[in-house]
Amino acid sequence: MENFEYFEPKTLKEAVHLLVKYKQGARLLAGGTDLMNEMKGGYVKPKCLINLKKIKGLDKISYSKKEGLSIGSLVTWTNILSSKPIYQYFPILREAASLIGCPQIRNVGTIGGNICHASPSADSAPALMIYEAQCVIAGPGRERIIPIEEIFAGVQKISLKKGEILTRFRLPTPDTGSKGCYLKFSPRRAMDLPIVGVAVLVRTSDGTFQDVKITLGAVAPTPIRARRAESFLCGKPVNDESIRKAAGEAVMESKPITDVRASRDYRLGLVNELTYRAITLSISKNFTLE
Amino acid sequence: MKKSQIKIKVNGEWHELTVPNKKTLLEVIREDLNLTGTKKLCNTGECGSCTVLMDGMAVNSCIVLAVDANGKEITTIESLSQIGKLHPIQEEFVARGAIQCGFCTPGMILSAKALLDQNPNPTELEVKKAISGNFCRCTGYVRIVNAILSAAERLRGENDERI
Repeated sequence: MENFEYFEPKTLKEAVHLLVKYKQGARLLAGGTDLMNEMKGGYVKPKCLINLKKIKGLDKISYSKKEGLSIGSLVTWTNILSSKPIYQYFPILREAASLIGCPQIRNVGTIGGNICHASPSADSAPALMIYEAQCVIAGPGRERIIPIEEIFAGVQKISLKKGEILTRFRLPTPDTGSKGCYLKFSPRRAMDLPIVGVAVLVRTSDGTFQDVKITLGAVAPTPIRARRAESFLCGKPVNDESIRKAAGEAVMESKPITDVRASRDYRLGLVNELTYRAITLSISKNFTLE
Repeated sequence: MKKSQIKIKVNGEWHELTVPNKKTLLEVIREDLNLTGTKKLCNTGECGSCTVLMDGMAVNSCIVLAVDANGKEITTIESLSQIGKLHPIQEEFVARGAIQCGFCTPGMILSAKALLDQNPNPTELEVKKAISGNFCRCTGYVRIVNAILSAAERLRGENDERI
C-alpha cells in the first residue's frame, strides 16, 4: 500500500474543502472495511485520506413519528442493531444489518460506506430502498436530497459530484400494517455476500394486496426496485397464484451476470423463488421479524 | 506529512508513537509494540486472526489504520492472563482441547471475551455468531463453542471448581 496524507476534519465544511482541494486524489474514510482492501490491493491509490469520524453528528440515529428516521452515514451496523426505533419501525434494515459480515466488520463498517461503495450486492441497499430512503448530501453548494435509487450510477459507481459527501439517510415511517422481510441467499451464513438478496414490504386488507414494494440486490449493475412486479401485485387477491406470477415479473426485470458466485440462470431462479418466499413469509399470520 | 503522532492505550498502558499514515493497527501492535500474540494471516479482514478489542469491541486490526485508532483503548491477548494465571476463557480452551495449531486462538478468545463482557449468559447460537468472523482451519469449532460456553458458566460463578 502506498502512503498518503491524512486528515481528520472536524466539520463538514472542512471536509468538503479538502475534497475539492485534492480532487481525484482524495478518498473519504468511514469504516474502511472496503476501502482498506482496495488500497492494499492497489486498486485505489489515494494521495490523501479524509477521515470523517471526527465530524459531529454523522454517527447519530434519531427518530420521530412525524419526521421518520434519520441515520448518519457513519452509523455502524452494530449501532443499527442496538437502535430501538430501527427495531420497532424498520425491522428489515435491522435484519439486513444482522446478516452483514461478522461482529468485527459490523463494529467498524458503516451504512454510508456500504452505500457509497455501491456494490450491487450491498446488503443495506434493498433494505434502504424498500423504506424509500432519501440521501442527504453536503457539498460546496447547497445541501441536496435525492432518493436512494439515484445515488447508484453503476457497479461501484455513485452519482455524487465533486466535493460532495453523503451525510445521512432519511426514512419515512412505513404505513401501519406493512410487513416485510429481507432474504439473503449465500452459501455461508457469515462473512459472505448475497448471490441474490430480496426485500419486500407489503400491506394487505380485505384479502387484497394494497401496497407492495420489492427490491432486489445482486441481479443488476445496481440494486433495483422490481416495479413491474410491484404494480402487478397491487390490487390482486392474496393467494399463491398471484404471488407466483409477481415473482415471475421480478425475474423479467432482473439482469444478472455470471460471476464467481453464481451463473446468470441460477440467479434468475433465485429471484423467482426468493421473491415468492419473501412475499409469502411477509403475509403469513404469525410472522414477525426478529 | 505522511506520518502522524498517535497515542493509544494498549493493555492498560499508554503509548505515544509516530507512525506512517498507511500503517495498520495490527502492524503497530506487532512491529512497534512487539506484541506478537495478535496474528497476521489473511490481512484483508476475512479471517479474524488479528482480532483485538478496541474500546471493548472486537475489530480486525489488519483493516484499521493505526491513525484511526488514535486515542482508543486496545486489548490484546497478552493482557488476559494475570500474574501467570490464565483467564478462565483461556483455561477452558486448554482444558477442552479447543486449540490445535493455535493460530486462530488469540482472535477466537478475544471475540469470546467481547461476547461474554456484553452477554454473560449466551446461547450456543449467540456464541457461534460471536465467532463467525474467526476462522479455524483445524475444524475445531465444536470444542471452541463448548469452551466458551463453559467459560461463561465459570465467569458467572456457576460450576466453578477451579477459581
